[in-house]
Amino acid sequence: MVNAEKGGRSWFRILHRTEDVVVSFLLVAMPLLAAAELVARLFGVVLPGAIEYLQHLTLWIAFCGAGLASRADQHLRISILERFNAPRVQRFAMAAVSMITAMICLFLAGASIQLIVSEAPSLPETARSLLPGFLIAWLEPYGLFEAGSLTLVGGWLPVWAAELAMPLLFVLMALRSILRAGSVRARWIVSAVTILMTIPAPFLLSGVSNFILWPAVVGLIIAALAGLPIFALLGGLALLFFWAAGETVAAIPAETYRIVTSSVFPTIPIFTLAGFILSESNASERLVRVFRACFGWIPGGSAVAATILCAFFTTFTGASGVTILALGGLLLPVLIKDGFSDRFSIGLLTSTGSLGLLLPPSLVVILYSVMAHVPVTDMFLAGMVPGILLVVAIGLYCMVTGVRVGVERTKFEPREMVGALWAAKWEVAIPVLALTVIFGGFCTLVQAAAVVVLYALFVEVVIYRDLPPKKVLNVFTQCATLVGGVLIILAVAIGLTGYLVDAQIPDLAAEWARAHIDSKWVFLLLLNVALIIVGCLMDIFSALVVVVPILLPMAEAFGVHPAHLGVIFLANLQLGYLTPPVGMNLFLASFRFKRPLPEVYRATVPFLLILAAMVLLITFVPALTMWLLEKAP
Amino acid sequence: AAQTIKLASIAPEGSPWNDALVDLGHRWKEITGGKVKLRIYPGGVAGDEPAMLRKMRIGQLHAGAVTTLGLISVVPDIEAITFPMQIRTDEELQAVIKSVGPDIEEQLSEKGYKILGWSMAGWMHFFSRNKMETAEDLRKQKLFFWGSDTVYVGLLQTLGFQPVALPVTDLLPSLQTGLVDAFAAPPVAALSFQWFGLAKNMSTLRWQPTPTVILIREKEWHKVPEKFRADMEAAAREVSDGLWAKSRELEQQSIDAMVEHGLQVHPAADSVRDEFQTMVQEQGLPVFLKKRFSPPFFEKVQAALAEYRSESAHSDR
Ligand code: NA
Ligand code: NA
Repeated sequence: MVNAEKGGRSWFRILHRTEDVVVSFLLVAMPLLAAAELVARLFGVVLPGAIEYLQHLTLWIAFCGAGLASRADQHLRISILERFNAPRVQRFAMAAVSMITAMICLFLAGASIQLIVSEAPSLPETARSLLPGFLIAWLEPYGLFEAGSLTLVGGWLPVWAAELAMPLLFVLMALRSILRAGSVRARWIVSAVTILMTIPAPFLLSGVSNFILWPAVVGLIIAALAGLPIFALLGGLALLFFWAAGETVAAIPAETYRIVTSSVFPTIPIFTLAGFILSESNASERLVRVFRACFGWIPGGSAVAATILCAFFTTFTGASGVTILALGGLLLPVLIKDGFSDRFSIGLLTSTGSLGLLLPPSLVVILYSVMAHVPVTDMFLAGMVPGILLVVAIGLYCMVTGVRVGVERTKFEPREMVGALWAAKWEVAIPVLALTVIFGGFCTLVQAAAVVVLYALFVEVVIYRDLPPKKVLNVFTQCATLVGGVLIILAVAIGLTGYLVDAQIPDLAAEWARAHIDSKWVFLLLLNVALIIVGCLMDIFSALVVVVPILLPMAEAFGVHPAHLGVIFLANLQLGYLTPPVGMNLFLASFRFKRPLPEVYRATVPFLLILAAMVLLITFVPALTMWLLEKAP
Repeated sequence: AAQTIKLASIAPEGSPWNDALVDLGHRWKEITGGKVKLRIYPGGVAGDEPAMLRKMRIGQLHAGAVTTLGLISVVPDIEAITFPMQIRTDEELQAVIKSVGPDIEEQLSEKGYKILGWSMAGWMHFFSRNKMETAEDLRKQKLFFWGSDTVYVGLLQTLGFQPVALPVTDLLPSLQTGLVDAFAAPPVAALSFQWFGLAKNMSTLRWQPTPTVILIREKEWHKVPEKFRADMEAAAREVSDGLWAKSRELEQQSIDAMVEHGLQVHPAADSVRDEFQTMVQEQGLPVFLKKRFSPPFFEKVQAALAEYRSESAHSDR
């Protein structure tokens, strides 16, 4: 028995290792392929199908990464109740949450199979007698015996085959969720209940009345508070609403496929990988030295340096919270040693964990441009001035505080500055390189991302030798886990959006707004209030996918430029990182600095107020957003 | 209860194509006494054409107004109608559709779709940074190509062009940064997406037509009480027919509006048109006949075209 378990464990280890290698390979294939396409084009050669390969690699990375996130139990969640509950209640909650997650994953797997059947060629009629009746009844309406389409990836791989990632990984995620149910007995119970409830549920829930729908929605929200991953919450909501409307749930994976394979999506894993490579190497130490040498002489210099450094990191790692995890531990002692209070330092590092979100190549800006159909480069230009404004505002507050508490100022040492810059020259060049390739015009954004990540990899592995090859695999796996955790939220949130569009809710909202609001300024004010509420309740990724489509027609009705809407939206949602109950930075900071949440709340209040004031400024002075955009050719 | 037919299109609200669909909704309501409602998702809110077709396959959408380019993945032969440099005028296109349309409709019916009417989105013209009067002028510019259809990109390369395969969302930024210099698009699209702003030369050469169809899943169509179907189909065909003239008008309006904003229109000489045609015919057609559409169907298209041309030459005389 013991031996069997051990044997089982080593099997698991081999499987996990294989999974790591495969996912890392998929991830690193993306920048390599994009770079190869760029090099080929410089020689006048077209790599056939490169765009399609990249788009479908993103699909596979999203799902395989989500599988890794399930394995490591690293899905983003809200989970408030679990902080207060007694151990017995917690055990029950854990089992319930893992069961609900498993069920939702299985439903989504089923929906993906329906989609695949609709795209795939017809089965031969002879299969009819071989397949069990319930399977035929379930899948025939989706064209089990009808030809789908002839769409091929790269001219040979049928799209339905590429889509197999969805059901396969949803099933794996369901299994992994069950493994989290607790004791072996709990796992068995959860498995049994999951199977018993999963099979009849679609039949029972299809076309349900609001009488069942709303209690189920409330149940899901309670489960979310008890630790249900965000993707499962959104997936569950999408399933419930589609069922209640009597529509097919295959609409959810259809939307997933559409958004994840959209053309700029490959930039998200690639840029995030660049951020990861930097945060896992000693780049942060070298850059801290640079910024202290450059800014240490001004009042509150180390805090200003911390602000700029965090903003820089966030532009690459996006809204993923990596900044706090990677830099928090490094910067906190530096700030305290320089004489800043504990409270100020924690507040600063918590709030700067998402500063820089508006600056290129931030992935939330990219995502907004996908949702709003605004060219990415336009969005980057639009976010530039407001993004810098937020950094400057926090920087000024750091200087004022530095003067007020009498923080010691270091003398400006030109030699130290040159030395620090020289030591970090390859890394200091990264933002310059990124801006050049993004705006330079010799490549697409995906190729730009590839250039940046390959450069970062070369610098850290070959030049600085911070990442031994063995650690590189680890960096890839961790990055894929994080990217998967984010992309799976987007992938499922778009299903919920698909329901909203199907029910024509954006049009109804725009009509309502047109009838009840009569000035652009009132609209903008209400927009801010609404977005602060959204920011309190939702994470930025789901909000982008679900809320932006509702806002776009309204904003158009009031003559708000989509780029300005995007900047307002992202700036507001950035505040959401710092507002309870769903404030990711608050959780991460509490975890990273080992402080109770209320202490972190209090520490961030002044920063929250400053940022809120800036958000109002950005909202009511559209010129801040539009100036650079209109100046560009 | 009333039956709601959900139809998606990429035509934006306020465009003649969407107005026609709204009109169709009213007519269907009248014909059926409110038993059939048409719910329209305009402006691509339900996704681009591949996404619309995907949603029709799973049954989330029932109908769509799509270009025939989007249908190539369903019935490959349909590409023979729009193969570049064959059909030259709206009248020729109408005559060809009248003749081979029923064939396509039958092929689609085998895949579970019904066509309720044919109309026109416009002609693909070349827009370029530097003026384009001959094929050579175009060869000197990097030509945007939408997506990564390997056979099509191959065709452009064989013809000596420099295709850059990009997603359509990248067109505007790529024009801005100089990654591409030229693209082919219907004038209406070049205006409404502002693509022409960075490629201010348009050739009058018609590269290929982009016909559109109103498409419905047969499953859904058969849910409509039989007594209404004939009238509803007639209404849809009438509405579609009415769009031909409107699309031509709008195309001219779009060109005029672009000219006001600095577009230069370069008339393509007959010799240039013939040069393009020979080039496509000799170097592209054999590949497409082998890989894309069936030779017999292409023959049919050509026969219909020849017949129309000889008839109209006759009546001209
Ligand atoms: Na099928
Ligand atoms: Na929040």
